[in-house]
Amino acid sequence: MGPMNPTLPQFRGRLHDARTAVAIGRWLGSAVVVCFLTGLISHVLQHPPGWMTGLLPVRPAWGYRLTQGLHVASGLAAIVLVMAKLWAVYPRLFAWPPFRSLPHLVERLSIALLVAATVFELFTGLINILQWYPWPFSFTQTHYAVAWIVAGSLLLHLAVKAPLIRENWRRKKADVDAADRRALLAGVGAAVGAVTLTTVGQSLSALRGFDLLAPRSPNVATQGMPINRTAAAAQVTYASSDGWALEVAGPKPFRVTLAELEAMPQRRVRLPIACVEGWSADAWWSGVPVRDLLARAGAPPGSALRVESLEVWGYYRVMEMPAQYADDPDTLLALRLNDEVLSLDHGYPARIIAPNRPGVLQTKWVSRMEVR
Amino acid sequence: MPLRITLGAAGVALIAVGLFFLLPLPGLLGVVFWFAGAIALHDALIGPIVLVTGLLVARLPDRAVVRGALITMGGLVLITIPALLRPGPSPNPTVLVQDYPRNLLICLAAVAVVAVVLVLVRRRR
Repeated sequence: MGPMNPTLPQFRGRLHDARTAVAIGRWLGSAVVVCFLTGLISHVLQHPPGWMTGLLPVRPAWGYRLTQGLHVASGLAAIVLVMAKLWAVYPRLFAWPPFRSLPHLVERLSIALLVAATVFELFTGLINILQWYPWPFSFTQTHYAVAWIVAGSLLLHLAVKAPLIRENWRRKKADVDAADRRALLAGVGAAVGAVTLTTVGQSLSALRGFDLLAPRSPNVATQGMPINRTAAAAQVTYASSDGWALEVAGPKPFRVTLAELEAMPQRRVRLPIACVEGWSADAWWSGVPVRDLLARAGAPPGSALRVESLEVWGYYRVMEMPAQYADDPDTLLALRLNDEVLSLDHGYPARIIAPNRPGVLQTKWVSRMEVR
Repeated sequence: MPLRITLGAAGVALIAVGLFFLLPLPGLLGVVFWFAGAIALHDALIGPIVLVTGLLVARLPDRAVVRGALITMGGLVLITIPALLRPGPSPNPTVLVQDYPRNLLICLAAVAVVAVVLVLVRRRR
Protein backbone atom coordinates (compact mmCIF):
# COMPACT_ATOMS: atom_id res chain seq x y z
CA MET A 1 0.00 0.00 0.00
CA GLY A 2 2.98 2.33 0.28
CA PRO A 3 3.40 5.04 2.86
CA MET A 4 0.42 6.01 4.98
CA ASN A 5 -1.20 9.38 5.25
CA PRO A 6 -2.48 9.72 8.84
CA THR A 7 -5.46 11.86 7.78
CA LEU A 8 -6.84 9.14 5.50
CA PRO A 9 -8.90 6.20 6.78
CA GLN A 10 -6.96 3.05 7.63
CA PHE A 11 -8.26 -0.41 6.77
CA ARG A 12 -7.30 -3.43 8.82
CA GLY A 13 -9.72 -5.95 7.29
CA ARG A 14 -7.53 -8.60 5.71
CA LEU A 15 -10.08 -9.63 3.09
CA HIS A 16 -9.56 -6.34 1.21
CA ASP A 17 -6.85 -8.05 -0.81
CA ALA A 18 -6.03 -9.16 -4.34
CA ARG A 19 -7.19 -12.73 -3.68
CA THR A 20 -10.73 -11.56 -2.83
CA ALA A 21 -10.69 -9.08 -5.73
CA VAL A 22 -9.74 -11.86 -8.16
CA ALA A 23 -12.30 -14.31 -6.76
CA ILE A 24 -15.19 -11.83 -7.01
CA GLY A 25 -13.77 -10.31 -10.20
CA ARG A 26 -14.05 -13.66 -11.96
CA TRP A 27 -17.79 -13.82 -11.28
CA LEU A 28 -18.34 -10.17 -12.07
CA GLY A 29 -16.32 -10.45 -15.28
CA SER A 30 -18.40 -13.45 -16.40
CA ALA A 31 -21.65 -11.59 -15.67
CA VAL A 32 -20.43 -8.51 -17.56
CA VAL A 33 -19.40 -10.60 -20.58
CA VAL A 34 -22.81 -12.35 -20.72
CA CYS A 35 -24.55 -9.01 -20.25
CA PHE A 36 -22.47 -7.33 -22.99
CA LEU A 37 -22.89 -10.10 -25.56
CA THR A 38 -26.64 -10.54 -24.99
CA GLY A 39 -26.96 -6.74 -25.15
CA LEU A 40 -25.21 -6.73 -28.52
CA ILE A 41 -27.61 -9.43 -29.76
CA SER A 42 -30.54 -7.31 -28.63
CA HIS A 43 -29.12 -4.21 -30.31
CA VAL A 44 -28.53 -6.02 -33.61
CA LEU A 45 -32.05 -7.53 -33.57
CA GLN A 46 -33.59 -4.11 -32.94
CA HIS A 47 -31.35 -1.89 -35.06
CA PRO A 48 -29.56 -4.17 -37.53
CA PRO A 49 -26.94 -2.54 -39.72
CA GLY A 50 -27.98 -2.88 -43.38
CA TRP A 51 -25.63 -5.74 -44.20
CA MET A 52 -26.94 -7.82 -41.29
CA THR A 53 -30.70 -7.66 -41.94
CA GLY A 54 -30.61 -10.76 -44.15
CA LEU A 55 -28.59 -12.70 -41.57
CA LEU A 56 -30.86 -12.32 -38.53
CA PRO A 57 -32.01 -15.79 -37.42
CA VAL A 58 -35.73 -16.56 -37.26
CA ARG A 59 -35.12 -19.68 -35.17
CA PRO A 60 -35.15 -20.66 -32.41
CA ALA A 61 -38.40 -18.79 -31.80
CA TRP A 62 -37.42 -18.42 -28.13
CA GLY A 63 -33.92 -17.09 -28.93
CA TYR A 64 -34.56 -13.50 -27.90
CA ARG A 65 -36.54 -14.68 -24.91
CA LEU A 66 -33.42 -16.50 -23.70
CA THR A 67 -30.81 -13.85 -24.55
CA GLN A 68 -32.76 -10.90 -23.18
CA GLY A 69 -33.77 -12.85 -20.07
CA LEU A 70 -30.05 -13.54 -19.57
CA HIS A 71 -29.21 -9.90 -20.24
CA VAL A 72 -31.41 -8.63 -17.43
CA ALA A 73 -30.57 -11.52 -15.07
CA SER A 74 -26.81 -11.11 -15.53
CA GLY A 75 -27.17 -7.34 -15.11
CA LEU A 76 -29.05 -7.76 -11.84
CA ALA A 77 -26.47 -10.28 -10.62
CA ALA A 78 -23.71 -7.86 -11.60
CA ILE A 79 -25.23 -5.18 -9.36
CA VAL A 80 -24.53 -7.34 -6.32
CA LEU A 81 -21.14 -8.44 -7.64
CA VAL A 82 -19.91 -4.95 -8.48
CA MET A 83 -20.76 -3.81 -4.95
CA ALA A 84 -18.79 -6.74 -3.50
CA LYS A 85 -15.88 -6.05 -5.84
CA LEU A 86 -15.81 -2.36 -4.93
CA TRP A 87 -15.92 -3.31 -1.25
CA ALA A 88 -12.85 -5.51 -1.73
CA VAL A 89 -10.78 -2.78 -3.39
CA TYR A 90 -12.22 0.22 -1.51
CA PRO A 91 -9.07 0.89 0.58
CA ARG A 92 -7.12 1.48 -2.62
CA LEU A 93 -9.22 4.59 -3.16
CA PHE A 94 -7.12 6.15 -0.38
CA ALA A 95 -3.71 5.11 -1.74
CA TRP A 96 -1.09 7.68 -0.82
CA PRO A 97 0.41 9.45 -2.71
CA PRO A 98 -2.57 9.58 -5.12
CA PHE A 99 -0.26 8.65 -7.96
CA ARG A 100 3.35 7.60 -8.00
CA SER A 101 4.06 7.93 -11.70
CA LEU A 102 2.37 8.72 -14.97
CA PRO A 103 1.51 5.04 -15.67
CA HIS A 104 0.02 4.80 -12.17
CA LEU A 105 -2.08 7.91 -12.80
CA VAL A 106 -3.29 6.48 -16.13
CA GLU A 107 -4.14 3.20 -14.37
CA ARG A 108 -6.17 4.99 -11.70
CA LEU A 109 -8.02 7.05 -14.31
CA SER A 110 -8.83 3.89 -16.29
CA ILE A 111 -10.24 2.33 -13.12
CA ALA A 112 -12.32 5.45 -12.50
CA LEU A 113 -13.69 5.07 -16.04
CA LEU A 114 -14.39 1.34 -15.50
CA VAL A 115 -16.21 1.96 -12.20
CA ALA A 116 -18.19 4.95 -13.45
CA ALA A 117 -19.20 3.27 -16.72
CA THR A 118 -20.13 -0.02 -15.02
CA VAL A 119 -22.18 1.55 -12.23
CA PHE A 120 -23.81 3.90 -14.76
CA GLU A 121 -24.69 0.99 -17.05
CA LEU A 122 -26.11 -1.22 -14.30
CA PHE A 123 -28.04 1.61 -12.68
CA THR A 124 -29.61 2.92 -15.91
CA GLY A 125 -30.47 -0.66 -16.88
CA LEU A 126 -32.13 -1.29 -13.50
CA ILE A 127 -34.19 1.90 -13.76
CA ASN A 128 -35.11 1.19 -17.37
CA ILE A 129 -36.73 -2.14 -16.59
CA LEU A 130 -39.25 -0.09 -14.58
CA GLN A 131 -39.93 2.07 -17.65
CA TRP A 132 -38.62 5.05 -15.69
CA TYR A 133 -36.43 7.58 -17.49
CA PRO A 134 -35.29 10.24 -15.00
CA TRP A 135 -32.36 11.47 -17.13
CA PRO A 136 -31.75 13.99 -19.88
CA PHE A 137 -30.30 11.55 -22.43
CA SER A 138 -31.66 8.80 -24.68
CA PHE A 139 -31.56 5.53 -22.76
CA THR A 140 -31.18 3.19 -25.72
CA GLN A 141 -28.36 5.03 -27.46
CA THR A 142 -26.46 5.91 -24.29
CA HIS A 143 -26.79 2.45 -22.74
CA TYR A 144 -25.44 0.99 -26.00
CA ALA A 145 -22.49 3.40 -26.29
CA VAL A 146 -21.46 3.05 -22.64
CA ALA A 147 -21.59 -0.76 -22.95
CA TRP A 148 -18.57 -0.55 -25.26
CA ILE A 149 -16.77 1.65 -22.75
CA VAL A 150 -17.47 -0.91 -20.00
CA ALA A 151 -16.19 -3.77 -22.19
CA GLY A 152 -13.11 -1.81 -23.27
CA SER A 153 -12.14 -0.55 -19.84
CA LEU A 154 -12.65 -4.08 -18.47
CA LEU A 155 -10.19 -5.52 -21.02
CA LEU A 156 -7.76 -2.72 -20.23
CA HIS A 157 -8.15 -3.44 -16.51
CA LEU A 158 -7.46 -7.16 -17.09
CA ALA A 159 -4.32 -6.27 -19.06
CA VAL A 160 -3.05 -3.91 -16.35
CA LYS A 161 -3.76 -6.36 -13.54
CA ALA A 162 -2.65 -9.50 -15.42
CA PRO A 163 0.30 -10.31 -13.11
CA LEU A 164 -1.83 -9.91 -9.96
CA ILE A 165 -4.62 -12.00 -11.47
CA ARG A 166 -2.21 -14.76 -12.45
CA GLU A 167 -0.70 -14.75 -8.97
CA ASN A 168 -4.08 -15.06 -7.26
CA TRP A 169 -6.02 -17.17 -9.74
CA ARG A 170 -5.48 -20.37 -7.80
CA ARG A 171 -6.03 -20.71 -4.08
CA LYS A 172 -2.85 -19.94 -2.26
CA LYS A 173 -1.57 -22.86 -0.22
CA ALA A 174 -1.01 -20.74 2.84
CA ASP A 175 -4.11 -18.57 2.98
CA VAL A 176 -4.49 -17.79 6.69
CA ASP A 177 -7.89 -16.24 5.93
CA ALA A 178 -9.25 -19.17 3.91
CA ALA A 179 -12.28 -19.84 6.16
CA ASP A 180 -13.25 -16.18 6.49
CA ARG A 181 -12.80 -15.61 2.77
CA ARG A 182 -14.91 -18.66 1.93
CA ALA A 183 -17.66 -17.37 4.21
CA LEU A 184 -17.56 -13.94 2.55
CA LEU A 185 -17.72 -15.44 -0.94
CA ALA A 186 -20.56 -17.72 0.17
CA GLY A 187 -22.42 -14.62 1.37
CA VAL A 188 -21.92 -12.87 -1.98
CA GLY A 189 -23.02 -16.02 -3.79
CA ALA A 190 -26.13 -16.21 -1.61
CA ALA A 191 -26.93 -12.58 -2.44
CA VAL A 192 -26.61 -13.26 -6.18
CA GLY A 193 -28.80 -16.34 -5.77
CA ALA A 194 -31.47 -14.42 -3.82
CA VAL A 195 -31.57 -11.55 -6.32
CA THR A 196 -31.82 -13.99 -9.23
CA LEU A 197 -34.45 -16.18 -7.57
CA THR A 198 -36.74 -13.24 -6.74
CA THR A 199 -36.59 -11.67 -10.23
CA VAL A 200 -35.86 -14.29 -12.88
CA GLY A 201 -39.46 -15.56 -12.79
CA GLN A 202 -40.41 -12.64 -15.02
CA SER A 203 -38.85 -14.56 -17.90
CA LEU A 204 -38.30 -18.11 -16.62
CA SER A 205 -41.78 -19.56 -16.28
CA ALA A 206 -40.67 -22.36 -13.93
CA LEU A 207 -39.70 -19.79 -11.26
CA ARG A 208 -42.73 -17.51 -11.65
CA GLY A 209 -43.82 -18.35 -8.14
CA PHE A 210 -40.68 -16.70 -6.73
CA ASP A 211 -41.01 -13.52 -8.80
CA LEU A 212 -41.47 -11.19 -5.82
CA LEU A 213 -39.28 -8.22 -6.72
CA ALA A 214 -39.21 -7.98 -10.53
CA PRO A 215 -41.02 -5.03 -12.11
CA ARG A 216 -43.11 -7.47 -14.12
CA SER A 217 -45.06 -10.50 -13.22
CA PRO A 218 -46.33 -12.55 -16.14
CA ASN A 219 -49.12 -13.54 -13.76
CA VAL A 220 -50.43 -9.98 -13.85
CA ALA A 221 -51.64 -9.66 -17.37
CA THR A 222 -54.66 -9.25 -19.56
CA GLN A 223 -55.59 -12.17 -21.81
CA GLY A 224 -52.61 -14.01 -20.27
CA MET A 225 -49.98 -11.56 -21.50
CA PRO A 226 -48.37 -8.44 -19.97
CA ILE A 227 -48.49 -5.21 -21.95
CA ASN A 228 -45.56 -2.95 -22.73
CA ARG A 229 -47.24 -0.02 -24.47
CA THR A 230 -50.89 0.61 -23.70
CA ALA A 231 -53.45 1.83 -26.19
CA ALA A 232 -53.78 4.98 -24.08
CA ALA A 233 -50.02 5.65 -24.33
CA ALA A 234 -50.20 5.12 -28.09
CA GLN A 235 -53.37 7.24 -28.30
CA VAL A 236 -55.32 4.46 -29.97
CA THR A 237 -59.01 3.93 -29.15
CA TYR A 238 -61.66 1.59 -30.47
CA ALA A 239 -62.88 4.61 -32.48
CA SER A 240 -59.49 4.67 -34.27
CA SER A 241 -60.36 1.39 -35.91
CA ASP A 242 -63.92 2.36 -36.93
CA GLY A 243 -64.25 1.31 -40.55
CA TRP A 244 -60.79 -0.23 -40.31
CA ALA A 245 -59.41 -2.06 -43.32
CA LEU A 246 -55.89 -3.32 -43.72
CA GLU A 247 -54.11 -1.75 -46.65
CA VAL A 248 -51.48 -3.96 -48.30
CA ALA A 249 -49.26 -2.13 -50.79
CA GLY A 250 -47.36 -4.15 -53.39
CA PRO A 251 -47.43 -5.15 -57.06
CA LYS A 252 -51.13 -6.07 -56.60
CA PRO A 253 -52.28 -3.75 -53.78
CA PHE A 254 -55.51 -4.55 -51.91
CA ARG A 255 -57.56 -3.70 -48.85
CA VAL A 256 -59.23 -6.19 -46.53
CA THR A 257 -61.73 -5.64 -43.74
CA LEU A 258 -61.53 -7.42 -40.41
CA ALA A 259 -64.40 -9.71 -41.45
CA GLU A 260 -62.54 -10.64 -44.62
CA LEU A 261 -59.35 -11.35 -42.66
CA GLU A 262 -61.32 -13.58 -40.29
CA ALA A 263 -62.68 -15.47 -43.29
CA MET A 264 -59.18 -16.23 -44.62
CA PRO A 265 -57.40 -19.49 -43.61
CA GLN A 266 -56.21 -19.02 -40.01
CA ARG A 267 -53.12 -20.39 -38.35
CA ARG A 268 -52.64 -20.91 -34.60
CA VAL A 269 -49.07 -20.80 -33.22
CA ARG A 270 -47.44 -20.69 -29.82
CA LEU A 271 -44.92 -17.85 -29.71
CA PRO A 272 -43.45 -15.69 -26.95
CA ILE A 273 -43.49 -11.95 -26.51
CA ALA A 274 -40.03 -11.16 -25.19
CA CYS A 275 -39.49 -7.59 -24.18
CA VAL A 276 -36.27 -5.63 -24.08
CA GLU A 277 -36.99 -5.00 -20.37
CA GLY A 278 -36.44 -8.70 -19.77
CA TRP A 279 -39.89 -10.10 -19.14
CA SER A 280 -41.31 -12.66 -21.51
CA ALA A 281 -44.30 -14.96 -21.81
CA ASP A 282 -45.61 -17.57 -24.22
CA ALA A 283 -49.08 -17.44 -25.71
CA TRP A 284 -51.29 -18.91 -28.39
CA TRP A 285 -51.79 -16.56 -31.32
CA SER A 286 -54.17 -17.03 -34.24
CA GLY A 287 -54.47 -15.05 -37.43
CA VAL A 288 -53.48 -14.89 -41.05
CA PRO A 289 -49.90 -15.86 -42.00
CA VAL A 290 -48.14 -12.75 -43.26
CA ARG A 291 -46.74 -14.73 -46.21
CA ASP A 292 -50.32 -15.39 -47.41
CA LEU A 293 -50.99 -11.63 -47.45
CA LEU A 294 -47.71 -11.01 -49.28
CA ALA A 295 -48.51 -13.69 -51.86
CA ARG A 296 -51.92 -12.11 -52.46
CA ALA A 297 -50.21 -8.74 -52.99
CA GLY A 298 -48.05 -10.34 -55.68
CA ALA A 299 -44.84 -9.92 -53.69
CA PRO A 300 -41.85 -11.63 -55.35
CA PRO A 301 -40.07 -14.27 -53.24
CA GLY A 302 -37.62 -12.77 -50.76
CA SER A 303 -39.64 -9.59 -50.25
CA ALA A 304 -39.19 -7.66 -47.03
CA LEU A 305 -42.07 -5.86 -45.37
CA ARG A 306 -42.82 -2.49 -43.83
CA VAL A 307 -45.60 -2.43 -41.24
CA GLU A 308 -47.30 0.73 -39.99
CA SER A 309 -49.39 1.15 -36.86
CA LEU A 310 -52.49 3.21 -36.09
CA GLU A 311 -50.64 4.78 -33.19
CA VAL A 312 -50.22 8.54 -33.47
CA TRP A 313 -46.62 8.64 -32.36
CA GLY A 314 -43.99 6.16 -31.23
CA TYR A 315 -40.39 5.16 -31.92
CA TYR A 316 -41.66 1.90 -33.37
CA ARG A 317 -44.79 3.13 -35.19
CA VAL A 318 -43.22 1.97 -38.46
CA MET A 319 -41.52 -1.44 -38.34
CA GLU A 320 -39.28 -3.02 -40.95
CA MET A 321 -39.43 -6.81 -41.23
CA PRO A 322 -36.61 -8.60 -43.09
CA ALA A 323 -37.64 -11.15 -45.71
CA GLN A 324 -36.79 -14.25 -43.67
CA TYR A 325 -39.30 -13.25 -40.96
CA ALA A 326 -42.00 -12.23 -43.45
CA ASP A 327 -41.65 -15.60 -45.19
CA ASP A 328 -41.80 -17.72 -42.01
CA PRO A 329 -45.10 -19.64 -41.77
CA ASP A 330 -45.38 -18.76 -38.06
CA THR A 331 -45.25 -15.01 -38.64
CA LEU A 332 -48.85 -13.90 -38.32
CA LEU A 333 -51.05 -10.90 -38.61
CA ALA A 334 -52.69 -12.03 -35.38
CA LEU A 335 -56.35 -11.39 -34.63
CA ARG A 336 -56.64 -13.52 -31.49
CA LEU A 337 -54.59 -14.00 -28.34
CA ASN A 338 -55.16 -17.16 -26.33
CA ASP A 339 -58.32 -17.72 -28.40
CA GLU A 340 -59.89 -14.37 -27.52
CA VAL A 341 -60.25 -11.38 -29.85
CA LEU A 342 -57.27 -9.08 -29.18
CA SER A 343 -58.02 -6.49 -26.54
CA LEU A 344 -57.29 -2.88 -27.49
CA ASP A 345 -54.13 -2.91 -25.35
CA HIS A 346 -52.92 -6.02 -27.17
CA GLY A 347 -53.32 -4.38 -30.58
CA TYR A 348 -56.95 -4.70 -31.73
CA PRO A 349 -57.89 -5.07 -34.54
CA ALA A 350 -54.69 -6.79 -35.73
CA ARG A 351 -51.08 -7.09 -34.66
CA ILE A 352 -47.86 -8.70 -35.81
CA ILE A 353 -46.38 -11.72 -34.05
CA ALA A 354 -43.13 -13.21 -35.38
CA PRO A 355 -40.60 -15.67 -33.96
CA ASN A 356 -37.35 -14.48 -32.32
CA ARG A 357 -37.95 -10.72 -32.44
CA PRO A 358 -37.91 -8.12 -29.63
CA GLY A 359 -41.36 -7.19 -28.33
CA VAL A 360 -41.20 -3.61 -29.65
CA LEU A 361 -41.10 -5.02 -33.19
CA GLN A 362 -44.30 -7.05 -32.67
CA THR A 363 -46.27 -4.11 -34.03
CA LYS A 364 -49.76 -3.57 -32.63
CA TRP A 365 -52.79 -1.81 -34.21
CA VAL A 366 -51.52 -2.59 -37.71
CA SER A 367 -52.99 -0.25 -40.34
CA ARG A 368 -50.83 -0.79 -43.39
CA MET A 369 -48.35 -3.29 -44.81
CA GLU A 370 -46.03 -2.53 -47.68
CA VAL A 371 -44.04 -4.99 -49.77
CA ARG A 372 -40.42 -3.82 -49.92
CA MET B 1 3.57 -10.07 -22.52
CA PRO B 2 2.33 -9.81 -26.14
CA LEU B 3 -1.02 -11.20 -24.98
CA ARG B 4 -1.17 -8.55 -22.28
CA ILE B 5 -0.42 -5.77 -24.76
CA THR B 6 -3.00 -7.12 -27.24
CA LEU B 7 -5.60 -7.24 -24.46
CA GLY B 8 -4.83 -3.67 -23.42
CA ALA B 9 -4.90 -2.43 -27.01
CA ALA B 10 -8.23 -4.19 -27.60
CA GLY B 11 -9.55 -2.47 -24.47
CA VAL B 12 -8.47 0.96 -25.69
CA ALA B 13 -10.04 0.21 -29.10
CA LEU B 14 -13.40 -0.74 -27.53
CA ILE B 15 -13.34 2.40 -25.35
CA ALA B 16 -12.77 4.38 -28.56
CA VAL B 17 -15.76 2.64 -30.17
CA GLY B 18 -17.88 3.59 -27.15
CA LEU B 19 -16.76 7.22 -27.30
CA PHE B 20 -17.42 7.26 -31.05
CA PHE B 21 -21.04 6.28 -30.34
CA LEU B 22 -21.35 8.41 -27.21
CA LEU B 23 -19.85 11.77 -28.13
CA PRO B 24 -22.31 12.73 -30.92
CA LEU B 25 -25.35 12.04 -28.69
CA PRO B 26 -27.48 14.88 -27.34
CA GLY B 27 -27.51 15.25 -23.58
CA LEU B 28 -23.82 14.40 -23.25
CA LEU B 29 -23.38 16.73 -20.29
CA GLY B 30 -26.06 14.71 -18.51
CA VAL B 31 -24.09 11.51 -19.14
CA VAL B 32 -20.92 13.09 -17.67
CA PHE B 33 -22.95 14.23 -14.66
CA TRP B 34 -24.39 10.73 -14.17
CA PHE B 35 -20.92 9.16 -14.50
CA ALA B 36 -19.57 11.42 -11.77
CA GLY B 37 -22.72 10.78 -9.75
CA ALA B 38 -22.21 7.02 -10.02
CA ILE B 39 -18.72 7.28 -8.51
CA ALA B 40 -19.80 9.79 -5.84
CA LEU B 41 -22.85 7.71 -4.86
CA HIS B 42 -20.73 4.64 -4.32
CA ASP B 43 -17.54 6.08 -2.88
CA ALA B 44 -19.14 8.62 -0.58
CA LEU B 45 -22.37 6.90 0.46
CA ILE B 46 -22.76 3.18 -0.27
CA GLY B 47 -19.09 2.30 0.42
CA PRO B 48 -18.92 3.95 3.85
CA ILE B 49 -22.32 2.56 4.92
CA VAL B 50 -21.21 -0.98 4.03
CA LEU B 51 -17.82 -0.59 5.68
CA VAL B 52 -19.25 0.83 8.91
CA THR B 53 -21.80 -2.01 8.99
CA GLY B 54 -18.91 -4.44 8.51
CA LEU B 55 -17.07 -2.86 11.41
CA LEU B 56 -20.16 -3.16 13.62
CA VAL B 57 -20.66 -6.87 12.95
CA ALA B 58 -16.94 -7.69 13.07
CA ARG B 59 -17.03 -8.73 16.72
CA LEU B 60 -20.39 -10.51 16.70
CA PRO B 61 -20.53 -14.22 17.34
CA ASP B 62 -21.49 -16.11 14.16
CA ARG B 63 -20.16 -13.18 12.19
CA ALA B 64 -19.83 -15.21 8.98
CA VAL B 65 -23.56 -15.98 8.83
CA VAL B 66 -24.61 -12.49 9.95
CA ARG B 67 -22.39 -10.94 7.28
CA GLY B 68 -23.73 -13.26 4.57
CA ALA B 69 -27.31 -12.46 5.58
CA LEU B 70 -26.60 -8.70 5.52
CA ILE B 71 -24.96 -8.93 2.08
CA THR B 72 -27.99 -10.83 0.79
CA MET B 73 -30.44 -8.35 2.33
CA GLY B 74 -28.38 -5.47 0.93
CA GLY B 75 -28.53 -6.95 -2.57
CA LEU B 76 -32.29 -7.43 -2.37
CA VAL B 77 -32.83 -3.88 -1.09
CA LEU B 78 -30.54 -2.44 -3.76
CA ILE B 79 -32.45 -3.94 -6.68
CA THR B 80 -35.83 -3.00 -5.17
CA ILE B 81 -35.09 0.62 -4.24
CA PRO B 82 -36.06 2.00 -7.69
CA ALA B 83 -39.40 0.20 -7.55
CA LEU B 84 -40.02 1.68 -4.08
CA LEU B 85 -39.02 5.19 -5.13
CA ARG B 86 -40.49 5.47 -8.60
CA PRO B 87 -42.76 8.51 -8.47
CA GLY B 88 -46.10 8.96 -10.14
CA PRO B 89 -48.57 6.46 -11.45
CA SER B 90 -47.38 3.32 -13.18
CA PRO B 91 -47.04 3.88 -16.94
CA ASN B 92 -49.21 0.87 -17.66
CA PRO B 93 -51.18 -1.70 -15.73
CA THR B 94 -48.62 -4.51 -16.07
CA VAL B 95 -45.47 -2.64 -14.96
CA LEU B 96 -44.68 -2.46 -11.24
CA VAL B 97 -47.55 -4.77 -10.56
CA GLN B 98 -46.39 -6.08 -7.24
CA ASP B 99 -46.65 -4.84 -3.67
CA TYR B 100 -42.92 -4.15 -3.40
CA PRO B 101 -42.69 -3.04 0.25
CA ARG B 102 -44.57 -6.17 1.34
CA ASN B 103 -42.63 -8.51 -0.96
CA LEU B 104 -39.30 -7.02 0.08
CA LEU B 105 -40.19 -7.56 3.74
CA ILE B 106 -41.13 -11.17 2.96
CA CYS B 107 -37.76 -11.70 1.25
CA LEU B 108 -35.79 -10.05 4.06
CA ALA B 109 -37.67 -12.11 6.65
CA ALA B 110 -36.92 -15.29 4.67
CA VAL B 111 -33.21 -14.42 4.64
CA ALA B 112 -33.31 -13.78 8.40
CA VAL B 113 -35.00 -17.15 9.01
CA VAL B 114 -32.44 -18.97 6.89
CA ALA B 115 -29.64 -17.18 8.78
CA VAL B 116 -31.05 -18.15 12.18
CA VAL B 117 -31.42 -21.78 11.08
CA LEU B 118 -27.83 -21.75 9.79
CA VAL B 119 -26.54 -20.39 13.10
CA LEU B 120 -28.45 -23.05 15.05
CA VAL B 121 -27.19 -25.83 12.79
CA ARG B 122 -23.58 -24.61 13.05
CA ARG B 123 -23.77 -24.38 16.84
CA ARG B 124 -25.10 -27.91 17.16
CA ARG B 125 -22.10 -29.31 15.34
